[in-house]
Amino acid sequence: MDLILEYQAQLLSGTWVTIRLALISLVIAVMFGLLGAWAKLSKNFVAQKTAAAYTTIVRGVPDLVLILLVFYGGQQLVNSFGAMTGMWDYVEISQFAAGAGTIGIVFGGYMTETFRGAILAIPRGQIEAGIACGMNRFTIFRRIIWPQMVRYALPGFSNNWLVQIKSTALVSVIGLQDVVYNGFVAGRSTRQLFTFMFAVLMIYLVLTAISDVGLRWLDRKYSKGIVRTDHG
Amino acid sequence: MKFTKLKTTCAAIALMLGLVGNSALAADLRVGVEGAYPPFSWKEADGTLKGFDIEIAEAVCNELGRKCVLVEQDWDGMIPALLARKFDVIIASMSITEERKKRVDFTSKYYNTPAKFVAKKGSGLEISKAGLKGKRIGLQRGTTHQCFMEKMYPEAELVLYGTQEEVFQDLAIGRIDAQFSDSIAADDGFLKTDAGKDFEFTGGDQHDEACHGPGAGMAVRKADTELRDELNRAIKAIRANGTYQKINAKYFEYDIFGG
Repeated sequence: MDLILEYQAQLLSGTWVTIRLALISLVIAVMFGLLGAWAKLSKNFVAQKTAAAYTTIVRGVPDLVLILLVFYGGQQLVNSFGAMTGMWDYVEISQFAAGAGTIGIVFGGYMTETFRGAILAIPRGQIEAGIACGMNRFTIFRRIIWPQMVRYALPGFSNNWLVQIKSTALVSVIGLQDVVYNGFVAGRSTRQLFTFMFAVLMIYLVLTAISDVGLRWLDRKYSKGIVRTDHG
Repeated sequence: MKFTKLKTTCAAIALMLGLVGNSALAADLRVGVEGAYPPFSWKEADGTLKGFDIEIAEAVCNELGRKCVLVEQDWDGMIPALLARKFDVIIASMSITEERKKRVDFTSKYYNTPAKFVAKKGSGLEISKAGLKGKRIGLQRGTTHQCFMEKMYPEAELVLYGTQEEVFQDLAIGRIDAQFSDSIAADDGFLKTDAGKDFEFTGGDQHDEACHGPGAGMAVRKADTELRDELNRAIKAIRANGTYQKINAKYFEYDIFGG
């Protein structure tokens, strides 16, 4: 316990990195998810196929492999391109950008499917009714699709988010000093690995518990006017 | 003119992608270190890096008249990070081996300590082909010790770990019969601690020239021969002027430079 207090600055700065990483990659994931869902449901052939390729690749390859590929492979690519064209000598891909970008893009794949399913769950007749009322596409999205999509998507979204927050731990491999990296280094430096792993575990539990509260609030907000019955 | 425009565009894109400009031409020497391998390198509560490797790095930079910028790097990504130019030299107790020489250039050694087995006191473990047959031997993967075990004792069952600390952890709880590692890492990191009080070295020094090589060196990219030569000169200089011996005495009871 004393050791944890002694190393608390390390653990806290790591936790802050983890939180920032999780939130930024969540924003990226939601953007890619909405874009992907739109593309998959659109009548445009190219958009459909691109989205299909995207979800197949990012959901089919381990996150860790992609992170390593972007960070080390991407860096060598950037270096060779710079050397080839003589435009730069060395430009560094930051660990944070590589980590947040990769995790965001990977989880965008899962979000795509979650959002797509949620949009499909909205009865077609409602959208037709919107058209009949003379709403334009944006109004239909804002007033009919979005509120219901969020409600249908929330259970899947919550799952994705919880997995994603834990996936941020993968970035410790590329040396980004998140809570896991700092916990491990402190654990090895003091030779008290278990103590620090336990601290890291508690930090993750607190983070997921807080997000649970937020997700429940969203659920209540978007379930307004919906009555829950015993038989579903 | 056109080329200039392309240049600007590319620079703008690079900036948008979050690539931060950082020229390697600066006089600072960026040193890749591990920070999780006591007593060679570890991290204090306030975040500062300490240890034999760290002090040697500082001494070498001092000798070269350049400022050291320590870059922490996980062991698994050490060589890829060097090749990707995240830093210019690795000073992280990396043993000089033929395998690694295919990808990086080494300076001459800056220390050489023998490898040893550690087992429970009175285990009666015999270090021989017959004695190790089917025994579970733990070690850090990707090290010279893995090469040694696979070559000399293929009969043993190897259990590989990401870090040395995990090896000690599993040895203490009895998941492996013995562990094989650098003797200093084992002595300082385990035998002298509470968890290691029921364990001891067994079987004496182990050495295989092909696997273990001449010792631990500093690694640079193959193109950086000039830096390698400068580092060699610096290692010689700190050996000659007593800086090395001063650092050595802080951590170890005998000269770990080796013969």
